Amino acid sequence: MPRFFFDIDDGLRFTFDDDGQALPDRAAARNMAISVLPPLARDVLPDGDRHAVSVVIRNEEGEAIFRAVLELVAEWLD
Amino acid sequence: MFERHNDFLRDGGTGMRNFVARKLSNGAALQDSDHARLDELMRHWKAIPAKSDIISQGDDPEYVHAILDGISCRYKILPDGRRSIMDLLIPGDFCDMNIAILGRMDHSIGTLTPCRVAYISRSEIEELLFDFPRIARAMWWATLVDEAILREWLVNMGQRRSDRQMAHLLCELYLRYAAIGWPDEFALALTQEQLADTLGITVVHAQRVIAALRQDGLIALRDRQITIPDIARLMEFSEFNPDYLHLPPES
Repeated sequence: MPRFFFDIDDGLRFTFDDDGQALPDRAAARNMAISVLPPLARDVLPDGDRHAVSVVIRNEEGEAIFRAVLELVAEWLD
Repeated sequence: MFERHNDFLRDGGTGMRNFVARKLSNGAALQDSDHARLDELMRHWKAIPAKSDIISQGDDPEYVHAILDGISCRYKILPDGRRSIMDLLIPGDFCDMNIAILGRMDHSIGTLTPCRVAYISRSEIEELLFDFPRIARAMWWATLVDEAILREWLVNMGQRRSDRQMAHLLCELYLRYAAIGWPDEFALALTQEQLADTLGITVVHAQRVIAALRQDGLIALRDRQITIPDIARLMEFSEFNPDYLHLPPES
């Protein structure tokens, strides 16, 4: 199975994935990247009015092949 | 069927290495006759490789198992194939005391790392309960502490941020190893996937949490094992209160 690397940026901290995950294909890697965002957001979003968490997938050649971003926008309207 | 070894229980003649007895000593003032009986019972053991079932859900096992070395877990497999780990079992822990009374297993118990597991027959457990009142009290204590740990895990998994969840789990394991007089420095051999299944998060998330704790110097990695440079700092970070482990004050 190919390895995919998941670099995560929550706005405060960037974590570079040295280990990677062995997954069947690109679709499985995409699903993994998306499923990691909501719980990650739960950890960091309460801190501010505008916050994004993102994950970038790299392949074994080190090329970025996919990005997912989850953004919270919170603002007073009056 | 079983290997018989006294060497494993005795640490070169310098002292006890019966971690089941060490653990139970936290729940009752055991006497020499209790220790002698527990030593006898731990002599029937088997080495079980990592990632194997000790007993499976639905089994009606004739033995109660105790971990002598390594780490096992209670787990269930969800319909979509994911595994949920509900409890980590370390040396000194009985896996399935309930089985002596309840019968069929409602979950599975499997090894995470290579383990040595003692096999104690149901009749021997009954004998402990009726003829060794101090051991019986300590086993009751151990069962109540297991429940307290489960309550704390419910709070931990539901209410804490993932990095604090991970830190809280590590503090608990550190203290549980300390409470059995584990001779080596704390170094957790679980994989990121196993920790993820324990905390109910994805492995990518677990990896990110471990990296963050490491960047902040709250944990360190040595040969892929997690170590804790400063337990007081990690306890403060995870808002850890050890009361639920019900350990005697001196430990």
